Amino acid sequence: MSGAASSTPAPAAATAKAGVTIVLKDIVQEYPAPGGGTTRVVDGVNLAFERPGINMLLGPSGCGKSTILHMLGGVRPMGAKTPTSGKILIDGAECDGAHDDSVMVFQRYANRPDLSVFDNVAFPFRLKLWRQRIAETEWRQRVADTLKAVGLADKQRLRPAQLSGGQNQRVALARALVLRPRILLMDEPFGALDAQTREEMQRLLIDLHNAQPCLVVFVTHDVTEALVLGDRVIVLSAQPARVADDFVITEPRPRSGAWQRSGEAVRMEERIFEQLHASGPGRGSVRVTV
Amino acid sequence: MAEFWNPYATPDARARRLLGVGAVVTVLVIWSLLAVSGLVSPNKLPAPWDVLLAFSYLAWHDGESMLLTATLWSIGRLAAAGVLVMAIGIPIGIAMGAAPKLNAALSPLVDPFRSAPVVALLPILVMWLGIGEEMKIAFLFLGAVVYLIPLVRDAIQAVPQSYWIGARDLGATPWECIQKSVVPMAMPRIADAVIVAFSVMWTYITVAEYVNARVGLGQLIQNARRFSAWDQVFAGIIVIIALALTTYQLMVHLKRKLYPWETQQ
Repeated sequence: MSGAASSTPAPAAATAKAGVTIVLKDIVQEYPAPGGGTTRVVDGVNLAFERPGINMLLGPSGCGKSTILHMLGGVRPMGAKTPTSGKILIDGAECDGAHDDSVMVFQRYANRPDLSVFDNVAFPFRLKLWRQRIAETEWRQRVADTLKAVGLADKQRLRPAQLSGGQNQRVALARALVLRPRILLMDEPFGALDAQTREEMQRLLIDLHNAQPCLVVFVTHDVTEALVLGDRVIVLSAQPARVADDFVITEPRPRSGAWQRSGEAVRMEERIFEQLHASGPGRGSVRVTV
Repeated sequence: MAEFWNPYATPDARARRLLGVGAVVTVLVIWSLLAVSGLVSPNKLPAPWDVLLAFSYLAWHDGESMLLTATLWSIGRLAAAGVLVMAIGIPIGIAMGAAPKLNAALSPLVDPFRSAPVVALLPILVMWLGIGEEMKIAFLFLGAVVYLIPLVRDAIQAVPQSYWIGARDLGATPWECIQKSVVPMAMPRIADAVIVAFSVMWTYITVAEYVNARVGLGQLIQNARRFSAWDQVFAGIIVIIALALTTYQLMVHLKRKLYPWETQQ
C-alpha cells in the first residue's frame, strides 16, 4: 500500500496549519458498579497533546483507555456523566459533549451493510452538519480521493459484505479521513485483524498520516504496535487507569524490523513491560507480537 | 440417517419441493380414502372432488363469480387495514424502540393486547363504529397493529449500538442517528413484522366479516355454513389459506429484493 497515499491531494491548508491541542486535567471516571457503589475506571489522568503526531495509549485490556478515548470524542455510550470529574480542553475550550474536531475509528467497524463502499465513506455528508459546510461537488471529490488514498478506488460499488476485514477497516478509516479531522481517535482499530493485515494497515496509517498529518490518539494493547506507530507512547496502568509512563520515539517511520530488534526498541519494550507489571498484576493482559 | 437429525444439512431445492408436494399429496390421499370409505359422513367431511366442484360453482355460475367478488372485497378490506397498520404502527414502534422513556410509557398500553382476545373486542367495535366497513377495517387494524408495534420496537432495539455511536461521533443529531442509521438497519426486521401483521389479518378476515357483511370471503363461508354447504365452506377456507400464502410469498420476495444485504452479513 505504500505510495498509495502519495496520490492524495495536499490536505486543505486550514487543516495542515491549524495544530490542535488537547489537555486532560485530573480526569476521573466512575461508573455505577453492578452490585451497587461505583467502579473507578480512570483515576487522575493528566495529559497534554500539543502537536500533530501519532500518540499511542497503551495499557492492558479493559484498563480504561477506551473510556479516555471516548471522552476525547465526546461520545457517551453509557449515558453516565463523563468525565466524573476533571476537564478536557480542546484548544483551550472545555469539551463537554459531541464535537466535530475529532472523528473516531472503532475496532468493530461500523460500516453499513446496506450501503456501498462509496456511500459508506460519504455517509457523514448525509448529515445536516456536513451538508451545510461542504458542497456536494466538493465532498464527492473528497470521497473519491480518500477512497484512492486507502486503496479502494476500484471497490467503491461493492458492499461491505463483499470486502475482507482489512478492506472494511480501510472503509472505516476513509470515512473518518474524508472529514479531514484535526483529531483522529482510533480505538484498537486493527485489533480484530490477522497479523499480516494488521501490518498492512499500520503501513497505510503511516502513509496517510504523512500525507495528511493530524493529531492521532491511538489506543492499543499491543506493545509492538505502539513501538511501530508511536511518536509518543503513553503507558496506562491496569484499572483504574493512571499514567504509568510517557515517552517519545524519535525513530522515523516506517520502522524497520532491524530497528524493532535494536537495543533501543528492546529497551523501550522492557521499560513498558516493567511499568505494566508494576502497575498491578493480575488484571487484564497485554499482547506481544514480535 | 446420519444427516437426518442435523439442522444444518439442508436438502437441495428439488428434494425440498418433492418432500413438500409429497406431504400435501399424502393428506389429499388420506382425505379421499376417508371420503370413499364412508367412515366419515359427507356432512362432516366433504370429498375433495366435491370441494373442487363447489369451488368451480363459486368461481362461476349464473354469469357471475361470487368467489372473485368476495375475494376482491376481502383483499380491499385487508389492504385498507394494512395501510393503516403500517402508517400508524411503524412510526409508533420506531418511536418506542428509539426512546426508552416512550417505550416505558407505552409498553403497558400495547404489550398486553398481544395476548388479549381481540375477537372479544368485536362487540365493542360494533357499538362504537356500527356495522359498516369502518368497524371491519378497525377490527383488522386492531388485531394486526398490536402485533406490529412490539415487533417494530424490537427491530429497532436489535440494531447494534455501534451504529448509533458511530453516527453520533460523525456529528449526527440524536434524531439523525435514528433516522439515518438505526432505522435503515432495522428495515429488514420491520419488513418481517409487516409480513406477520398481514398474516394475522388474513386469520382475522373471517371474524371481521362475521357481522353484517354482504360480500367477502368470510361472509361467503358464513353463508355456506348456514345452509350446511360444507363443500363450499371448505372451498372458502382453502381460498383464504391460498391467498394468505400468496401474500406471504410475495412479501417475502419483495423483502429480499429490497434488502438483499441482510443475508450477506
